[in-house]
Amino acid sequence: MYILMTDTPKTARVLLIDDDQELGLMLSDFLATDRLHITVCNTGEEGVDSFAANDFDLLILDIMLPGMSGLDVLKKIRQRSQVPIIMLTARGDDIDRIIGLEFGADDYLPKPFNPRELLARIKAILRRAQPQDTDTRHWKLGGIEVDTRTHRAAVDGTPMQLTGTEFEILKSLLETPGEVVSKEQLSERALGRRLLPYDRSIDTHISNLRGKLERAGNKNETIQNQRGVGYLLIPGN
Amino acid sequence: MAGVAGFLYAERMRDAIESFDFGDAMLDASAALEAAGREGLTNWIKDNPTTSAITIFVLDERGHDILDRQVPFGLMRVFRRFREHRRPRQFDDRDPRNLRRSRPHPQLVGADGSVYTFLVSPSRASHSVWTTADARWLLFVIALLVSGIVSWFLATAISGPVRKLRHATVALAGGDLDVRIAESVGKRRDELGMLGRDFDSMAENLQRAATRQIELSRNISHELRSPLARMRVAVELAKQKHGDMPEFERLDSEAERLDALIGQILSYTKLDASPDTDPEPIDLADLIKEVVENVNYECKAEGIDGISVVARIDASPITPGHVDAMISAIENIVRNAVHHSPPESEVKIHLSQDDENALIDVRDSGPGVDDEDLRRLFEPFFRTRESAESKNARGTGLGLAIAKRAVGVNGGTISARNHPDGGLLVRISLPL
Repeated sequence: MYILMTDTPKTARVLLIDDDQELGLMLSDFLATDRLHITVCNTGEEGVDSFAANDFDLLILDIMLPGMSGLDVLKKIRQRSQVPIIMLTARGDDIDRIIGLEFGADDYLPKPFNPRELLARIKAILRRAQPQDTDTRHWKLGGIEVDTRTHRAAVDGTPMQLTGTEFEILKSLLETPGEVVSKEQLSERALGRRLLPYDRSIDTHISNLRGKLERAGNKNETIQNQRGVGYLLIPGN
Repeated sequence: MAGVAGFLYAERMRDAIESFDFGDAMLDASAALEAAGREGLTNWIKDNPTTSAITIFVLDERGHDILDRQVPFGLMRVFRRFREHRRPRQFDDRDPRNLRRSRPHPQLVGADGSVYTFLVSPSRASHSVWTTADARWLLFVIALLVSGIVSWFLATAISGPVRKLRHATVALAGGDLDVRIAESVGKRRDELGMLGRDFDSMAENLQRAATRQIELSRNISHELRSPLARMRVAVELAKQKHGDMPEFERLDSEAERLDALIGQILSYTKLDASPDTDPEPIDLADLIKEVVENVNYECKAEGIDGISVVARIDASPITPGHVDAMISAIENIVRNAVHHSPPESEVKIHLSQDDENALIDVRDSGPGVDDEDLRRLFEPFFRTRESAESKNARGTGLGLAIAKRAVGVNGGTISARNHPDGGLLVRISLPL
């Protein structure tokens, strides 16, 4: 499942999983004015159930949950959905952040966050899913195919389950094969935000993407790292 | 070994002395004395070979042997004590161990009233082989060798554990609370083993106390974050309802400051634990370029005008370490330098290397630090007099303390001094 927004902006449905009840209530108040409808769950189990029963456009997940951990929730949900996920991490806890990104979270925000920053991240991720009419819809290089209209990606016809972020990164690399795309550009396009200092999240997404391409049977094309500059997709022979 | 041999020899001598029965001999001696006085007794002694293991000395009242033999020193002492009817007080006659010592020495009284005391000593003849000069040297050398070997074993048995204990103590004092020595010393059943086990339980207690303290400050910081997160949302809600007011901005910036402080406390306590990851090779030149870029960006974002950070890279050392800690160290030092720089000045970073270390120098053009404050610069929340007086003090007071720990995690050292041309110079030295 991937979110598809129609031309007329409608209320986006956001699931917030956070054990801080009051924070959840205040956040849903704060975000409601921006046409975001927030459902709050206070435990991981509750969150997984609610996610299975409803359609959500975005998930905000506190990694530091009591009981069923945030990482477990992340794994469970990624097994059946590619919904965009923003994790809330403890500042300075790099391990949680890195594992979270490896498990397929799209982006992260250290807690306590500036609420406006959270709003900006949510909007950026929701916006990126809206294809522009002028966009080319179909990209192909070797066996790799990407269709922005249907949001499908495949290698030699074998479909790949990509998160929204991975999809955007692959599309950006496909647009200019053999040319370096800077990490700043990738961050702007895939996450809708500036690259933060010492931000390694793009590198983690790239490594996830490489794994998925390989598992789908891609052998010819390789994503190469140009140290200090960015990444490029090298066409096969 | 030498001790055991000596002991066995002494035992044999004692048995020979104790098994010697004066009974019959005394009757003969008495008869000889009665027949021919002192001369008779002398002849009897000469003629009577007794046994090879012992020698009988006969002493007159003045303590002279009637054959004019040299009486062994120990025997003379016994005689004198016996003559004076005095015994060392500490000997209890009822104690069976002392029976031998309290055995009375037989005496004979001549016709002229002179008293002769009979004393027995291990015979010199029995070890005459050892009395030649060469043999003595040989004995001396053997004794030296044997006692040397024994001493060496004793010394290693004692000094080995003591050395281990000392190393452990130094390590503990240096902050390594993981050090334990029961493995190597604690199995001994002597005092050293006890000391080793005591040391371990002390280290254990220290470690528990330290862990508790770290846990406590970490928990406090974590707990502070939830209300802080709610506060920030509350401020935003208030803004939505009542519009922007300068007070809201102030609330926001104070909350941000609290957040930064808590973040710093968390990274400080976290650096105390051993890192979760293995060290990896770090390209310091790349890292410094990244830090410079980011701090310059920060300066612009925070409205710190005119201060720029410039780096001079004179080497490209690769050192093993933890990237995040390394970034944190360099960044905190550079930020500190920026905060203490006058407007329109430069913070200079210089990367170089010598034979063993990579050197990162960070120099500002601020007023420097009083010499007596230099030592305390890396203590948490330490403020120099000058920065305590300045009203718009920036930073959390933890930056340099974090830098020191972060450098320590990477196996390096950090030092600060005033540059002769002005400004503070902080140097990180990292082993290559």
